[in-house]
Amino acid sequence: MRTIWFACALALATVFAGQPAVAAGEKLIISAWGGSWKEMVAKSAAKRFTEETGVEVEIISGGTIDRLNKAKLAKGDPESDLTLTTSHVGWLYQNDGLFETLDYSRIPNAKNIFPEAKISPGHVGVWSYVYTIGYNPNLVPDDVKFESWEDLWNPKLKGMIALPDFDPSHIITVAAILSGGSAENWEVGQDKLMALKPNIKAFYTNDASSQQMMASGESPVQVLLSGNAFHQMDQGVPIKLVIPKEGAIVGIDAIGIMKGTKHLDWAYQFINAALDPESQAFVTEFKKLGPMNPATKVDPAIAALPGVFTTAQQWSEDALIIDHKLRAEKLGEWKQWFAENMIGQ
Amino acid sequence: MKRQPFFYWFTVPAVVLALAFLASMGAIIQYSFRKHIPGSLDVGPVTLENFERLAHPLYFSVYLDTLLLSLYTSVFTLVLGYPLAYVMVRARSRWIKSTVLIVSIVPLFTGEIVRTYAWLNVLGHNGFINSLLLGTGLLDRPLQMMFTPFGVTVALVHFSMPIMVVILAAAISHIDTDYEKAAASLSANPIKVFWKVTLPLSTPGIVSGFVTIFAWTLSAFATPQLIGGGKVNMVSNIVYQLGFASFNFPFAAVLSLLAVMLTIVLLLVIYASTRRLEKMSLH
Repeated sequence: MRTIWFACALALATVFAGQPAVAAGEKLIISAWGGSWKEMVAKSAAKRFTEETGVEVEIISGGTIDRLNKAKLAKGDPESDLTLTTSHVGWLYQNDGLFETLDYSRIPNAKNIFPEAKISPGHVGVWSYVYTIGYNPNLVPDDVKFESWEDLWNPKLKGMIALPDFDPSHIITVAAILSGGSAENWEVGQDKLMALKPNIKAFYTNDASSQQMMASGESPVQVLLSGNAFHQMDQGVPIKLVIPKEGAIVGIDAIGIMKGTKHLDWAYQFINAALDPESQAFVTEFKKLGPMNPATKVDPAIAALPGVFTTAQQWSEDALIIDHKLRAEKLGEWKQWFAENMIGQ
Repeated sequence: MKRQPFFYWFTVPAVVLALAFLASMGAIIQYSFRKHIPGSLDVGPVTLENFERLAHPLYFSVYLDTLLLSLYTSVFTLVLGYPLAYVMVRARSRWIKSTVLIVSIVPLFTGEIVRTYAWLNVLGHNGFINSLLLGTGLLDRPLQMMFTPFGVTVALVHFSMPIMVVILAAAISHIDTDYEKAAASLSANPIKVFWKVTLPLSTPGIVSGFVTIFAWTLSAFATPQLIGGGKVNMVSNIVYQLGFASFNFPFAAVLSLLAVMLTIVLLLVIYASTRRLEKMSLH
């Protein structure tokens, strides 16, 4: 009898040995955006992480800046274990000492990620998208072509273009490049930017207003997020998305472990789950985003979309990357100049 | 009447709130004198740099536009809201009263964002108004109403209407109808009764409604943000764009501080001038 009990105990111990002990109610908390972003994280990385560890994931959501402020106020005793944010905003977390320094030896799936994914010592990219030119071909003169960013300055586009008001980084960098400079010496592009003003119809505040302006024909040419264009194409809005010859401005969303987390091992396991090829494949499918792990099997139809970078060659030829740290540092200056000279005048 | 010390406890929530508002104000003042450090959430040493930036003509024009839009909104809301409030209080038919009440108050339950998005569909290029005008052949190209002060004012008036109607209805319902009957018995026609009796006696409501809508519109954000499309900016939009979207909290604090001071001064001016108006109307 004693032998049977011993055998049962041994069998149970064997079954549970692979799982870390999870105290009742303990869970991993992720800070992310709400809406479809939250749904995507829940169905990809969080699902995989829970399958692998048995640990539940709670996603707390909010706007980019709200979450940044909350994280700053809770420094040392973070509300979440990990934070998903945009690459350059992640640098504000990093500069403020809010992120742990990542130990890549604990993230096996990061072994072969695109080098562009390594944003800072504290945050790693999990998916990419682009800000580029999107237009409604039915509402733009037939002889207007979009092969270069320079084409936005075409006088035939007078009063047709909409730009984001929350981040002028894209157009400022483009104007600087077209004027022979770069994001670093962006001032060389100021005259170029001023010359664009007659073509600007309005500035959109968020994804919803970008989509509304495009769908209604209010502004048939936009510098817009690739995902928004794909979403509208699915809804039947006639949009063409182009990658100009200079490249499209890349956006990368990244994840970092909050300093002070009590679940460091789980946090690493979560990042590993986020970079797992299957999670990455789900992400490319769900929002038509680019994977950061080249081992991801992407549906060829999605891989063929403009701005969905799946190869190193695409990253080197089609991607225009604004240095994420520089962007974080310059954004205030850019925003102020843009508001004073482009938006408010 | 003897004072009951027990009732002083009822002032506790008000005191707590006042302290919280004072603390927030203190934080704004403190931030406004600190240097912005690019790429960081921390602020630097004490500086007056943030105030010097206000010299840029953009800020003057934004504050001026904010005042004008608030004035237009208050005036149009008052002019359009008064007849609604009057009918709501004085109509004999319960059906008419209920209809006006529903039409006036229901928008209050839909929230600012929903109402603003509804206006996008009304004022837009392919919106209701343009479709109607183009469909009937009155126009051959769409009217530009979005991203204009006109569009923003229309949406702000609609947004403010329920509050104005409620305030005016309360004031009109307090008017003793015997005064109107007396005027009518002395051979004043209905227009004269309204002009000489009802309207002056509803001055307290007119003043409260005007001041409330003016102050409330000064801090409007979502409506000018969405309908204005960056072409029509109010103070809150600039605070958001320069402060929160670019992490420059010190400059955002200066803009907010100036807006608060401007609001206080304007409300004092309006209060002083309307007190005189109220006194005149009661004589």
